[in-house]
Amino acid sequence: MDKRYDFTQAFAEADRCLLCHDAPCSKGCPANTDPGKFIKKFKMQNIKGAIRTIKENNILGGACGILCPTARLCEKECAGSHLDRPIQIGKIQEFLVSHGRQIGFKVFEKPESILEKVAVIGSGPAGLSCGAELAKKGYKVTIFERMDEPGGVLRYGVPSYRFSKAYLKTELEDIIHLGVKFECGHPIKKDGEAEDLLNKGFKAVFIATGLWDAASIFDENTEGVYNSVDFLSSPHTGRLDIVKDQVKDKQVAVIGGGSVAMDCAGFAASLGAGDVYLIYRRSFSQMPAEKEERIESLEKNIHFLILNQPEAYLTNDKGMVSGIKLVRTQLSQAKGDGRRSPVEIKDSQWVLDIDLVVEAIGNKAFDLSDKLYPGVDIDDKKLIKARLDNCQTSQQAIFAGGDIVRGPSLVVNAVCDGKTAANAIDSYLVRRRAKLTTKEG
Amino acid sequence: MNKNDIDLSIDFCGIKFKNPFLLSSSPVSNSAEMVARSFEAGWGGVVFKTLNSDTTPIIHPSPRMNGYGYGNKRLVGLQNVEMISDRPLKDNLADFLYLKKKYPDHVLISSIMGFSNDEWAYLARISEDNGADMLELNFSCPHMAVEGAGHHVGQAFDLIEKFTNTVKQCVSIPVIAKMTPNITDMTEPAIYAKKGGADAISAINTVSGISQIDLDGFIPKPNVFGIGSVSGTSGPIVKPIGLRFISDMAKCEDLSLPLSGIGGIETWIDALEYILLGASTIQVTTGIIHYGYGIVEDMIEGLTDFMVEKKIAKVKDLVGKALPNLKTTDKFDLKRQGRARYDLTNCVGCGQCYTVCRDAAGFALEWDPEKRRPILNEDKCLSCMICSFVCPVSGIISYTEMPEDWKRQDACVMDRSLETQIKYQPFNANPLISS
Ligand SMILES: Cc1cc2nc3c(=O)[nH]c(=O)nc-3n(C[C@H](O)[C@H](O)[C@H](O)COP(=O)(O)OP(=O)(O)OC[C@H]3O[C@@H](n4cnc5c(N)ncnc54)[C@H](O)[C@@H]3O)c2cc1C
Ligand SMILES: Cc1cc2nc3c(=O)[nH]c(=O)nc-3n(C[C@H](O)[C@H](O)[C@H](O)COP(=O)(O)O)c2cc1C
Ligand code: SF4
Ligand code: SF4
Ligand code: SF4
Repeated sequence: MDKRYDFTQAFAEADRCLLCHDAPCSKGCPANTDPGKFIKKFKMQNIKGAIRTIKENNILGGACGILCPTARLCEKECAGSHLDRPIQIGKIQEFLVSHGRQIGFKVFEKPESILEKVAVIGSGPAGLSCGAELAKKGYKVTIFERMDEPGGVLRYGVPSYRFSKAYLKTELEDIIHLGVKFECGHPIKKDGEAEDLLNKGFKAVFIATGLWDAASIFDENTEGVYNSVDFLSSPHTGRLDIVKDQVKDKQVAVIGGGSVAMDCAGFAASLGAGDVYLIYRRSFSQMPAEKEERIESLEKNIHFLILNQPEAYLTNDKGMVSGIKLVRTQLSQAKGDGRRSPVEIKDSQWVLDIDLVVEAIGNKAFDLSDKLYPGVDIDDKKLIKARLDNCQTSQQAIFAGGDIVRGPSLVVNAVCDGKTAANAIDSYLVRRRAKLTTKEG
Repeated sequence: MNKNDIDLSIDFCGIKFKNPFLLSSSPVSNSAEMVARSFEAGWGGVVFKTLNSDTTPIIHPSPRMNGYGYGNKRLVGLQNVEMISDRPLKDNLADFLYLKKKYPDHVLISSIMGFSNDEWAYLARISEDNGADMLELNFSCPHMAVEGAGHHVGQAFDLIEKFTNTVKQCVSIPVIAKMTPNITDMTEPAIYAKKGGADAISAINTVSGISQIDLDGFIPKPNVFGIGSVSGTSGPIVKPIGLRFISDMAKCEDLSLPLSGIGGIETWIDALEYILLGASTIQVTTGIIHYGYGIVEDMIEGLTDFMVEKKIAKVKDLVGKALPNLKTTDKFDLKRQGRARYDLTNCVGCGQCYTVCRDAAGFALEWDPEKRRPILNEDKCLSCMICSFVCPVSGIISYTEMPEDWKRQDACVMDRSLETQIKYQPFNANPLISS
């Protein structure tokens, strides 16, 4: 993980904060984190209060402190930028959460679970934040998770050098402490099973299954070509040694220009790859990855092959990938304010010798995911249709949020959806309870 | 005028100092090994750590200091429970001889403190015999837990006179009396010292205080195995107190002795402020504890550049230069009034001005939530200027004088209708006449 603050550094950074009236940072967080408030509390030595402000609002406050692209969220409008640089809000936030653990401060009392049972499918940030929020309100929450351990992308996606699993464990402890029950290694997989939970004693369901199918470039399967999901999850699915062998001192190509591609390239580098090439068909500035991520990748000596489009994989006599046929591209003239698209340059094909390829061109919903909830409306990409302001799907009692609704998004947006859904589920169940009593009465 | 025209040397009690910057008596002047290094760094002289005559064993409490921080700023103050020198007298005297031999043009001042008349005399004589150029009588250490020593003497004025007199009888070198600030009026003990024959006064020693309490054990710090103590505070937080006492003494005509300023000095500006209020040498401890001897380089360079800029060639011409402008508050011209002026070109929109003006001043600012900028209602401004103290950008908020016919609005009264219910009669300064 990035170098983290200790007390002195965090306090020094907090001291730079201008304690703005109507703090603009506080309007920049999708999950309504209030940096203006927690930094002021910190500065006034009200340290537990500062930690409480963070964690009560965002159960994954520590993870967000590390993983949020703060430069375009809270720190974007920071008044400090007009002086020299924004306050490092994410790092202060992460410090406070860690510090709370170090001093043994528990933000939450264990709530009494006296209300209805609610099922959450998926233990990524959306599921975790929904579960925690509901538990705080007194609901009995069970999170069903297909993998052996909870966390979603936080465990099986983001590489450990960026976000350690030990850190994840501490964040999860807070959620377990709230009484949330985890059913791991328990995929919801039968047709209609998601909706069926409503017949098994659960009064509401929150679907937060994320995007775990990887798009691929070519139809046929080639040995030595990974998708990003399999590649990044290898340390936690018992395949690390195999992958290490395939990467160490080898030539690795990662295809894609987003955050996930940067993680794949960084992960390959961390496993000791000889060279890592990042192949992207558009320009450097068009890469969807955050600017900071792109710069970090360059600093890791990853070679950026921009304006290059893969045409085919070449294989050796054992059927293993041995090269990528690439064609150089050029950007088209802009039409209106549309994005300039890459156009192949004639006769510019060339071959990059390679031992391993990782495709990181986007995650999507599992092909058959819609079968789990036939009554829920989806779009043509199989993303669930749900309103952002209450996470309500087309089915009563079924709510959805996170990447399965938004498409590839951010941890903090997933946290936000989890909270929104918890509030919507609560109002729904309060209404339902009221109806039941009137019926009884 | 250029740098070469500037002469930082100064005469203090007939002794020439190459510059006015001295180490004060403390751990920073504890041994010749240290003092030699400070001389190499540029300090003009030293008041050596207060000597002890070996009759009373000196054992320092442990730990013996605590830092006082403000926000992110460390060592804004320092609290210590240190005693006088714990070295054998002969070691210190050998160090005196070494320093005088190696650095004849640096001034060596011996700080002494006795527990009896004879001991004062003994320490004074032995200092002179071993090369001290001057003496400083420590009437001000707040930690010597012995009646008749340290600031107990500083607070018993007749003893100051008596001990000073004793010392003056037996040495021919100049004698400085060092004052404690833990009193209300320093001119009084200073005059006693003068009556006893003192040639100069130095001030201040540390201010009695408590810097911090360990919240786990409820123990004031420094926590000496479960016990804390009121003890000496120093560093930047005491500078205003030091400046005030120096100016009081400088203005006191009955005293008119040379002054050595001490208390919270770190930069050439701090030093200069003491000089402008009447000190002709200055002494430093906490600044060195914080940054090391090297700060003297910046004091020398900074003061020199300032003197070039002001075309003042000699330090002595700066001594007391601010005193004519220091008067009591009744001398203010209250007819002249002004207000804050805002130039928002570089405003970053933090709104700190708005917050403080609303909650601690005239409520003279409105906040434009769209532009995120303050709007000054000039007629309500109290000219307290607190907004300018919190504004993070230089030059936005300044003071401007208003024409004589300008009138400030009164603070608003919430409900005028309540006036009928006030239980009130105008105060009458002379009831005999009215009744
Ligand atoms: C490699 C990578 C790096 C990223 N880095 C960042 C970053 O640095 N910062 C940032 O803000 N965002 C980042 N993101 C995006 C962010 O991680 C996602 O937006 C976020 O995790 C979405 O949360 P979620 O809860 O919707 O889904 P997920 O985190 O995907 O969690 C969904 C969970 O549901 C489980 N599940 C799926 N189907 C079933 C089923 N049928 N039954 C039971 N369980 C099921 C999955 O196993 C998974 O645990 C990254 C994404 C990836 C892929
Ligand atoms: C601008 C100002 C005006 C003050 N006026 C008064 C006053 O009218 N009466 C009073 O008893 N103390 C007055 N004080 C002293 C404060 O009440 C307080 O004792 C002092 O500032 C120390 O506390 P603090 O540093 O924690 O604020 C004043 C202080 C300030 C800064
Ligand atoms: S915008 Fe920046 S300076 Fe202002 S309160 Fe937020 S973090 Fe502090
Ligand atoms: S000088 Fe005082 S009253 Fe005037 S604007 Fe500033 S804070 Fe307000
Ligand atoms: S304190 Fe200064 S920078 Fe901040 S809003 Fe006021 S004028 Fe602007």
